Amino acid sequence: MISAMKPSVAKFHGICRRIVTAVAAIIVALSFTACNNEPETSIKDPYYNFDMLTRIVGDHYCFFEQKDIDWPKLCAEYRQRIKPETKQVELFTIMAELLNELKDGHVNLSSPFTTSYYRKWWSDYPQDFNLRTLQEYYLKFNYFSTSGMSYKMLNGDVGYVYFPSFSTTVSESALDYVLAILADSKGLIIDIRNNGGGMLTNINTFVGRFIDKEFTGGYIHHKLSPAPNDFSAGYPVVYKPCDKERKQYLDRPILVLTNRSCFSAANDFTSVMKELPNVRIVGARTGGGGGLPFSSELPNGWAVRFSACPINNCRDEVTEFGIDPSPGCEVHCTPQELAAGKDAILDFALRLLQNPNPQYSY
Amino acid sequence: MRRLFLPAIAMVCLTSGMAADELPRPVVQQYRLESGATDVTATYLSPLRYSGSVLGASGTWSKAFNHAPESTVMRFEANSELRDMLNPAKNAQMIGLDGNFTWGMEWRKRLPYALQVTAGGSADIYGGILYLTRNGNNPVSINAYPAVAADASLSWRFNIGKLPCLVYNRVHTPVAGAFFSPQYGETYYEIYLGNHSGLARFGWWGNSFRIDNRTALILDCTNVAWEIGYTYRHYNATASYLTTNINSHLLSIGVIPHGIGLKKRAQINSPLY
Repeated sequence: MISAMKPSVAKFHGICRRIVTAVAAIIVALSFTACNNEPETSIKDPYYNFDMLTRIVGDHYCFFEQKDIDWPKLCAEYRQRIKPETKQVELFTIMAELLNELKDGHVNLSSPFTTSYYRKWWSDYPQDFNLRTLQEYYLKFNYFSTSGMSYKMLNGDVGYVYFPSFSTTVSESALDYVLAILADSKGLIIDIRNNGGGMLTNINTFVGRFIDKEFTGGYIHHKLSPAPNDFSAGYPVVYKPCDKERKQYLDRPILVLTNRSCFSAANDFTSVMKELPNVRIVGARTGGGGGLPFSSELPNGWAVRFSACPINNCRDEVTEFGIDPSPGCEVHCTPQELAAGKDAILDFALRLLQNPNPQYSY
Repeated sequence: MRRLFLPAIAMVCLTSGMAADELPRPVVQQYRLESGATDVTATYLSPLRYSGSVLGASGTWSKAFNHAPESTVMRFEANSELRDMLNPAKNAQMIGLDGNFTWGMEWRKRLPYALQVTAGGSADIYGGILYLTRNGNNPVSINAYPAVAADASLSWRFNIGKLPCLVYNRVHTPVAGAFFSPQYGETYYEIYLGNHSGLARFGWWGNSFRIDNRTALILDCTNVAWEIGYTYRHYNATASYLTTNINSHLLSIGVIPHGIGLKKRAQINSPLY
C-alpha cells in the first residue's frame, strides 16, 4: 500500500507515525513517573504529625463535652514530650497515650508496627461470659449455625440465638429459617455478650422482625464545622417492620443478654431493643461506643479512627457510656460459677421466661 | 389561514433551496485516549494530598449548525477518567472515577490568516467518585455538578510540508449550577437513612470552579486525521468546611475518522475551521 503512494505522501505518513510513537512513549513514561512533591523529611517530622493528629481529632471528635475533656490543654501537655529527634515508636506511644485520654474504644492509631487501642472500657469490668461454658453446658455442643448466628431450642420451649459479632451480615433468608425453627418457642433469648459491634444495618434486619409498625429507635447527629460542639439537630433513625412475607417474632417476650463487652453496633442494638415493650435487657451494662467512627490519616501514613457522629437513643440521650439492663434484670456471673458450668445471666433469663415477672406484663 | 400557509410553504422551499447550495456539514468525530498525572485533595476523606496516574478517554462530536452553518457550531463531548493514587507515605490507595458530558452551541468567526475563534455556552454534567480504601465509615466522596458552562476556542490552520494541520486551544468552564456536598461531619450512612437536606449547593466560581483546557495538534491524512494534545482539568469545590481539589495533566492521542477535510478536494463546512 505504502509502495503505491507517492514518496512525499509516504514521507508524511512516516512523520505521523513517528510523532504518534513519540507521544505514546511520553504518555507511558508520564504514567509511571507520576509522583507527589511532598518532601520526604516533612512527612516524618514528629511535630508535623503530632499537630496534624491533634487538629484532626480536635475538629471531628464528638464527645469532648460529655467527657469533660480539655483537648487543647491535653495536646499542649503531650506536645512537650516530643523532641525533634523523637523516634517513630516513641512518637506513637505519646500519641496513643494522648488518644487514650479520650477513654473511647472507637479510637485507634494504626501504624505499620502496631495499633493503639483503649481497652479499659471492658478490661476494668467483670466479663460475665464464657463461650466454652455456654457451648458445653447449655448448647451441649449441638446447635445450628447460620449467618453468624448459633441457635437452638433450650428446655424444649425457649428459643436461643447467640450472635457474637455485628460484622457478619445477617441475611434475611437466614433469619427466616432461624425464626421458623424457633417459631414454637414461648420466648426468645438473643445473646449478644462479647459482641464488639460491626455493621449498623444488621440492627435494621433484626429489629424489623420484632416490630409491626415503624418506630424511631434513636437519633444521629453530625458536626457542622470544626468548632467545638457545633452539631446538627438529631436525625431520627427509623426502624421499619420487615416485608410481609418474612418471619416475625411478635407479642412474645424477648430477652437480650448483654455484658460489658457489648460495644458499638451491639450497644446501639441494645439501646433500640430496650425500647420495645416486650423486650428486657438482662445481664450487665454494655460497654458503650455510641459514636459512629470516622477515619483519617497522618502525613507519615499512620491511620487514626475516632468517634465523630453521636448515635443517641430514642430520647436523644447519649449512649456512649453504655446501656443499663432493664430494672431488676442486672445479673453478673462470677468466674467461679462460669468455670463450674453455670451461666448466671442465661439462667436468670431462662427463669424469667418460665415465670415471667408480672410487673413486666409480657 | 391560507395567507399564513402559502408564505410558510415558500419559506420551506427557500430554506431547502439554500440547503442544497450549502457545503456538506459532516459530523467531525474526535476520539482520544488520555494518560498522565493527577493529584487529589478531598478533606472529607483525608487532609493529605494524594497523587498518582490517570487514564482517560474522551470523544467530541461537532458539526456546523444547519440554520447558520457559517457562524454557529454544535458540539457534544464526553470524557471519563480513572485515577489511581497514593498518599505521601505511599501506604494508602485512593481510586477515582469521574465523567463529564457537555452539549453546547458556539458562535464562530473565521479570521484572516486561517484563524477561527469560537465562543458559546453549554449544558454540562459532571460526576465522580473518590474511594479511599483505608477508611471505614467515610470511604467515599461523591462529586456531582450539573451546570451551565462557557466555552471558547481558537484554532489555526497551517501546513507542515504538504501535510495540512490544525492546532487549537479549547477552554470549557462551568459558570453556575448545583453541586453535591455532605455537611462537614455527615456520614453517607445518615444520607442513606434519609437525611437529604442541604446536600445540593448552588455552585458558582466562588465555591466551585472547574476548567477543562485542551491544546492539540491535528494532522490531517486524507482518510483519517490524528490528534495529539495536552489537557489540563481542574475541579475545586468548597462547602461546609470541606474542600475537594482534583487536578489532571493529560497527554492524549486521538483519531478522527474520515479526517477533517483539509486534504480532500471536495470542500466541506467544518466546525473546526
